[in-house]
Amino acid sequence: MINWWWRQKNLTDNVVTGFASTVLPAGNSLVEQSNFLALDLELTGLNPSKDYIVSIGWVPIRQQEIVLAEAKHYLINSPISVGQSAIYHGLHDNQLKQGIDIKTVLTELLRQYAGYVFVAHHSKLDEQFLRVACKRSFGKAPRFKFVDTMQVEWQRLLRQGKVVKHDALKLSSCLQRHGLPVMPNHHALEDAYSCALLLLSQLRLGGNNMTLADLYLLSR
Amino acid sequence: MEVADVSRFLAETTPFDQLSDSELSQLSAQINVFYCQAQGKVRIDSDRLLIVRTGIFSLYSDQQQLLTKLQSGDFYGYQQLLTGLVDNDTLLCEEDGLIYYLDAKAFHQCRYQYKNIDIFFQRLFSRRLHQYRDQQQNTRFTLKISDIIQQHKIAIAPEKTVQDAAKLMSDSRVSSLLVEEKDKLVGIITDRDLRNRVLAEGLPASTQVGHVMTRQPHSIDRHAYLYEAVQQMSQHNIHHLPVLEHGVCCAMISATDIIRSQQDHPVYLIGEIHRQQSVAGLERCSQQIAALAITLNKQQVPAHEAGHVITTITDALTQRLIYLAKQQLGEPPCVFSWLAFGSQARMDQSLNADQDNALLLEKEPIGAVEDYFSALAEFVCHGLAQCGITLCPGNIMATNPELRLSLKGWSGRFTRWIATPTPEAILKSSIFFDLRVIDGSKGLFNALQQDILQRTTGAPLFLYHLAQAALQRTAPLGLFKNFILEQDGKYKKGLDLKKRGISLLTDLVRVYALSAGITEVNTRRRLQQLAAQGIIDSKDSQNINDAFDLMAQLRWEKHQRDLMQGHDVSNLLDPVDMSGLARHQLKDGFAVINEAQGRLKQRFCRDM
Repeated sequence: MINWWWRQKNLTDNVVTGFASTVLPAGNSLVEQSNFLALDLELTGLNPSKDYIVSIGWVPIRQQEIVLAEAKHYLINSPISVGQSAIYHGLHDNQLKQGIDIKTVLTELLRQYAGYVFVAHHSKLDEQFLRVACKRSFGKAPRFKFVDTMQVEWQRLLRQGKVVKHDALKLSSCLQRHGLPVMPNHHALEDAYSCALLLLSQLRLGGNNMTLADLYLLSR
Repeated sequence: MEVADVSRFLAETTPFDQLSDSELSQLSAQINVFYCQAQGKVRIDSDRLLIVRTGIFSLYSDQQQLLTKLQSGDFYGYQQLLTGLVDNDTLLCEEDGLIYYLDAKAFHQCRYQYKNIDIFFQRLFSRRLHQYRDQQQNTRFTLKISDIIQQHKIAIAPEKTVQDAAKLMSDSRVSSLLVEEKDKLVGIITDRDLRNRVLAEGLPASTQVGHVMTRQPHSIDRHAYLYEAVQQMSQHNIHHLPVLEHGVCCAMISATDIIRSQQDHPVYLIGEIHRQQSVAGLERCSQQIAALAITLNKQQVPAHEAGHVITTITDALTQRLIYLAKQQLGEPPCVFSWLAFGSQARMDQSLNADQDNALLLEKEPIGAVEDYFSALAEFVCHGLAQCGITLCPGNIMATNPELRLSLKGWSGRFTRWIATPTPEAILKSSIFFDLRVIDGSKGLFNALQQDILQRTTGAPLFLYHLAQAALQRTAPLGLFKNFILEQDGKYKKGLDLKKRGISLLTDLVRVYALSAGITEVNTRRRLQQLAAQGIIDSKDSQNINDAFDLMAQLRWEKHQRDLMQGHDVSNLLDPVDMSGLARHQLKDGFAVINEAQGRLKQRFCRDM
């Protein structure tokens, strides 16, 4: 029993520490050579301590190409009801009953994409939920390195001297501004894909020699 | 896991549109997405199929020659995937866009699994082959004078003796000489002249060339098509034509030169036409037109050149009919010009064209003059109808007494249209503003054309109404870049390539040409002139030209299909019969019309 517990603890430790100990690319490396993982979560609400993740979607970007072969979308069985949030993501409790355990998903995420720079639109929320979920699953959470496409867009517009209205930073508005085709529909994978497109467009606008440090600066 | 946007796009893209949902989602899961910004180079080095999702990309050969433009739904890389041969092309992004890459394994799997997809890419490949093949290879039927003439000209001065001339001919191994005085062409002399006018007449070898030469010979422009030379030679029964460039003589072309270059040219039909002695004979000749058209198409002669050939044949038929009419009716009582309007005037006649012609007379059409030309018109128009060029349903024909006028009569008619341009009058009369002389006096015609152009250039109200008329119809493109189909009594649904495409551009270009007093009537030449004079931006002119060529090409190919299937020739094209590639290009062409109409409106309809 003790042994079993010990092995489990070790395993989970390995997931988190393995992820945390993988070195991210240096700040002076070019963005075009860096690996990114665009991801999006759908939630039961906006409070990380009370609400839960109901679905997660991600798609990696390597050498500036979105690799759809590794695109993933998981429904997660949440301990609480989706309640009113269903009107946003369209997921219902009965669907989520067939969802998988958050721990399995997180294990895959942390194992496969260590060393990736994570990307999300309004990433603060996704980061908080991921951290809480990690703590619940593994007892501790690693530090994530996130680039926030919303923040990047805001900075970009500010630098152009534009007045930024609140609506202007919604994912759909950003996609439209960049002439990108997808209409986000609160589906975790679709939104992650849109976010990846937006990032690629933002990177191209950043010029040829953009480094990760430049990108982090824009993403603050 | 599939991304809906990607599989949705593939589902709308030929040839993947035939896959089922589950096959599509499998396929879309094997795609990599790349974002490219204008001016950026696209990776094409890898062994993958490239699918353009959005944006515009230009494909350049290793010699930096623009091969084609790719846009949404277009492919690249299948060439290499099919043949394993590497092209050294460059793909440059012109407008920001997304590119999908499908890796070789998935591409081949898809090809093996679905025969239709395989066929699609094989066809695309073969089309690309002939599209970019060295242009020299298929110009045999549309050679120009400049392609076959010798670079050096052989000329003699008029004060030299005929013996000098004979010696020069035999030294240079030619059968004719240009006669030039101070670098100016004054005549030609041929070996036949030496025989008929010198030896047979018993003139001495010291006779001056100027004495026996043919003065003021017919001539042809260096950039004219070869068959136009055949046409002139046949029409005037001559075998030598001086070749001019910018009005300066640069060479001589003989019938033998032409025969040597084109042993089996189907346009010998023109020569044949000029040898006919009866309407029945002409009718027999005209029955070869359809076969000739099919041959031209097989030789991949571009539509605008084919239109030129077809028009030249109509011209030849008209000229021969006038010749035959004169034989029957005697010499005309006065000088006249036989005029053509519309597509014959523009030299872009298609296979289903009807007659649009008229007569311009030196004297007022009364009494004997009227009787003679009424009979002539009757003979020619019905002769043409017998040759398959149907009578004009709108009665725009020389048989209509209202269209047999003196210079004064025509000038008055045009002046009325220009001075008081009611919308209906303009709509009806716009066809008259494309006119060309087919036979008879060029001088008389030039006087009329000058008169018209002088009036149109300074007539803003007229140009306003003409522009309004040109704007009445729009390209059949919906709000979301979808085609708007038209219904026809007999044929099913389709896009009317003439009424909603070619004619719109012809009308539009005419307004500019008349505003600038340009004498050309051919739409492509008008565009060149307009660009050269800076009246239209050269890029716009090129775009309009491309759109025009594309629609003319699609219509030409449609007519060919109709002919081969034994249908009546129709301008209605069902988009389903088009390749995905052509569909995109056509939408683009319609968009060009929309833009050009917008600019026309700005230019001519603003201040009114």
